[in-house]
Amino acid sequence: MTEAMVPAPSEDVPAFVRADGPDKVTGSGRYTADITLTGMLAAKFRYAGVSHARITRLDVEPARAIPGVFAVITADDVPDVEFSYGIADRRLFAKDVVRFEGEVLAAVAALTPELAQQAADAIIFEYDELQVVTDLEAALADSSPLVHDDLDAYTITGDTPHGGNVATHSSITVGDAGAARESADVVVSSRYVADASHAVPIEPRAVVAQWEGDKVTVYTSTQVPFDARNGVCETLELPASRVRVIVPHLGGGFGGKCGFHYEAHIAALSRAAGRPVKLVFSRWEEFVAPDRRREGMIIDVTTSMAADGTIVAREADILVDNGAYIADASFFAQAAAMHVAGPYRIPNVRIDSKLIYTNHQPSGSVRAPTAPQGCWASELHTDELAAAVGLDPLEFRRRNIVRTGDVGPSGQTYEEIGLEQCLELASTSAGWGRDLPDDEALGVGIGWWPSFGAPAGAYMKMHGDGSAQIITGANECGTGSVMTLRMLAADEIGIDPSAIELIYQDTAVAPVGPGASGSQTLFNHGRAVEGAARQIADQLRDLAADHLEANADDIVLADGKASVAGSPAIAVDISELAATAASGELLLGKGNAEIRDWPTLSGSSCLGEQGFSSFLAPQFFCHVSRVRVDRDTGVARVLEVHTAHDSGTILNPMAAHGQIEGGVMMGVGQALTEGTRHGDDARQLNPALLEYKLQTIADAPSIHTQFVEIFTPNAGPKGSKGLAEAPNVPTAASVGNAIAAVIGKPVRRLPMTAERVWEAVEGLDQPDSSTDATTYTGGAQ
Amino acid sequence: MSFTIATSLDDALAALADGARPIAGGTDLVVGARQGKDPLPQNLVAIDRLGELARVEVTDSEIRIGAGVTHAQLMVDASVVDHCTAIADAAALVGSPATRNVGTLGGNVMNGSPAMDTGAPLVVLGATAELRTASATRTVALDELWTGPGQTSAQPGELCTALVMPARPATSGSAYVRLEYRRTMEIAVVGAAASVTLASDGAIESLRVALTAVAPTILEVTGLDDLSGSTVDDGLLASVAERASGQATPITDLRASDRYRSKMIGVMARRAVEAAAMRARGEAVAVPVNRATGVGAAE
Repeated sequence: MTEAMVPAPSEDVPAFVRADGPDKVTGSGRYTADITLTGMLAAKFRYAGVSHARITRLDVEPARAIPGVFAVITADDVPDVEFSYGIADRRLFAKDVVRFEGEVLAAVAALTPELAQQAADAIIFEYDELQVVTDLEAALADSSPLVHDDLDAYTITGDTPHGGNVATHSSITVGDAGAARESADVVVSSRYVADASHAVPIEPRAVVAQWEGDKVTVYTSTQVPFDARNGVCETLELPASRVRVIVPHLGGGFGGKCGFHYEAHIAALSRAAGRPVKLVFSRWEEFVAPDRRREGMIIDVTTSMAADGTIVAREADILVDNGAYIADASFFAQAAAMHVAGPYRIPNVRIDSKLIYTNHQPSGSVRAPTAPQGCWASELHTDELAAAVGLDPLEFRRRNIVRTGDVGPSGQTYEEIGLEQCLELASTSAGWGRDLPDDEALGVGIGWWPSFGAPAGAYMKMHGDGSAQIITGANECGTGSVMTLRMLAADEIGIDPSAIELIYQDTAVAPVGPGASGSQTLFNHGRAVEGAARQIADQLRDLAADHLEANADDIVLADGKASVAGSPAIAVDISELAATAASGELLLGKGNAEIRDWPTLSGSSCLGEQGFSSFLAPQFFCHVSRVRVDRDTGVARVLEVHTAHDSGTILNPMAAHGQIEGGVMMGVGQALTEGTRHGDDARQLNPALLEYKLQTIADAPSIHTQFVEIFTPNAGPKGSKGLAEAPNVPTAASVGNAIAAVIGKPVRRLPMTAERVWEAVEGLDQPDSSTDATTYTGGAQ
Repeated sequence: MSFTIATSLDDALAALADGARPIAGGTDLVVGARQGKDPLPQNLVAIDRLGELARVEVTDSEIRIGAGVTHAQLMVDASVVDHCTAIADAAALVGSPATRNVGTLGGNVMNGSPAMDTGAPLVVLGATAELRTASATRTVALDELWTGPGQTSAQPGELCTALVMPARPATSGSAYVRLEYRRTMEIAVVGAAASVTLASDGAIESLRVALTAVAPTILEVTGLDDLSGSTVDDGLLASVAERASGQATPITDLRASDRYRSKMIGVMARRAVEAAAMRARGEAVAVPVNRATGVGAAE
């Protein structure tokens, strides 16, 4: 890579045209719902429509009798397989009991969507209603009804404590937090409650399945094609060689399209119908049915300090709403614990975090699961701590954040990290301390997010004309990082990135990889691509060495040429070497991302280990938001967000800025307007875009970003770390602290809607204000 | 099922007489059908190309806005902005640019939603609706037109062709203010319009206030006559706010609780009167008020 491609942190972002950009912008790109195959039928699901019930009758014959209906399938028509990560607690189709309103009872294939819907409606479903579990605290009582009668009847991976309505229980224990509290100068307790929210990709999900012989091809709007393929293989009991998953252009995911969703339903339906079948979700279905939405949380946190503001202990109890099935949420309790702990030096920690089954839609990985809510609670609490000891919020953080070489709250010792720089850069950029109108304030939020080492492979080949292809399991959900893969390869081989084509989103041709999940594209797929490209580079150096009569070790590949180091005039075009190879030993490369171990911990004990107690190549960040609050109405508006991120080296500045801007906007939505509400029957009350309000471009603040590009041990390619999730994490926190600064107190519910802000201003009962009290037990005020 | 594109008003009225329903922008009719509220009518007659419905006409005695004038036109039309500023304020807040480009004043009025943005401005400006059939024309006061949520007293075959308002003195001003949770694609949680005419000494000569989305129909605040002769100050604004809150009968729904709506309608009424009075004094308050001042103003 040339220096020019890694500019110093700056707001002058060089243009890098995404390979998929023109397709998407001009409308020539094709998404899953655009696919039409000969003889294709339309699919519709019959949903439970009730949150908790025992099935007494499910009669599909009235649907089958409708002319034009080709197939109707239920649990009786597919292998009886229980699946999910961690706890195998669900089936493709409900059997015996339904546990949330969006659970699929049956699937119909018919000539048209209207006919399929008519048939789905004709299915006779009778049931005995069961008591619903909706309240996280009540769910823990011995007398509570159970969402699952006996968890131990399921196959459970790992030894995480569980039982009753508790799906997983994780803890962090360091030192003796209780004793530290007893002898502390100042103790502050806070309660924060976050509503569930949604990923809301603009493309509702779609699946098309077509069988040819005993093989099925599934086109699907997933972020993770290999998870989707594996799900089909597991639930339909098919070998991987008979299932091909292809992802056309994806219209956003934000985590909501991670995991395995309806690929197997539609594959089974297509097999039963003997025709290709297409499913396209409505917005209502997109809100209600998938087992991926952001989890509601209740956070009780108590922090003990010395009079000078030094944190001596943190205790917290966290309840996380899992919903009806585990999906991929088994790590959520532990992840939440880490975000409520936060990137602070805390010598004594006692955090208990429980993931609770309810009859809500299942929670699953949405862009940094648990982190925005945990960070929001922790950071609003932190401003309460600063106030309690009479310190400026920035100064309080300076005294307590983790720096290079420090030990964090779970016992991890951090190598080179840039949190301190993030704090200073973002706050300086925002003009911390400047005079503002009395209805405006700045608010700060800091946080962290790990990188994940996962298996990923890549192939690469160079054609006879010197152009090349990368074949990768990476997936483009808008992050742009798959585009960056071309830059990585180009840098190794010495050709222009535009000469490299990316073959991706097809499980039949690409090696396995994690896809677009966990900010891993660059971190893992990138390392695999580098490995594959290096093999081709080695071959090119050997060819060039022969051609130029030089030592292969002295060959430099750059600007389309292979030259001898120190003698740039002695050179040959790479395309000429490629032509030579095309008639002899072909230029082929393969790469593997080596698996990275998690950093070890010392001095802590953690129950329910789910891989989140220590952070590999952690990302750190600070956002400072300027917010205006209308005290009369409670309406808050975010005017500016200043961000600083330690995501290691930034390889593709335009994509990186895009990630920050998108993450900030999603975070502002979560802060102010995006919240799912439930009725007493556990069903969603606002599963539609009229009543679940996203932020629009008219609401966008100005966003100012700086990157702290420092050396990070165990980072990804060229010292890079992930970035897709990080900017979503501290935004609601910074907005919340700004609102609190204007109105003089925190708003303890997320989203901090206008009505909730107004209630806080007016001193009206905020829900859960019984534990609202902030207790100061001496010390400086 | 039929869809006819009317090329003259007479064509349109004839189609209505035969049982067709009119469609202009379709922003309520089509969206409602898609959401499963009401199926599309069997027979539709499109009136969006009728130039005679798309005019704004000003005479010495009245201003007449064609029912087919779009929100996009209302928010910039010089006559509307000058004489009926509150309507321009409201039109500028409707939905998105796409909605405003096709949605019409007549459609907004005849849809009869208590959350319609142009309704309260029309009320405070003393508008009447002109309803026509193939054989007759009648004029209906708005409080007689709107009979409940989504209900009007219009008879089958009647088409709203215009909204007509009396001319107002130069010392008048009007304004519409709405509570917004975001700055576009929003729907009224509560809103308020005010029209103010000032006497030569700056005191109130007349004052009307109407409220959006706090009753089954647009609600005009009553009993403001005793405020004539008052100056527009904090005490007067507080009094208006209190009366608006007191007369509103809001519901609790997903957008807001009744408690919050009751308080907010007072805030909106106060702000509407404040802005209307400024305009009456000749002070510039750009359209819409929501973008000129306060939390929603441009940076």
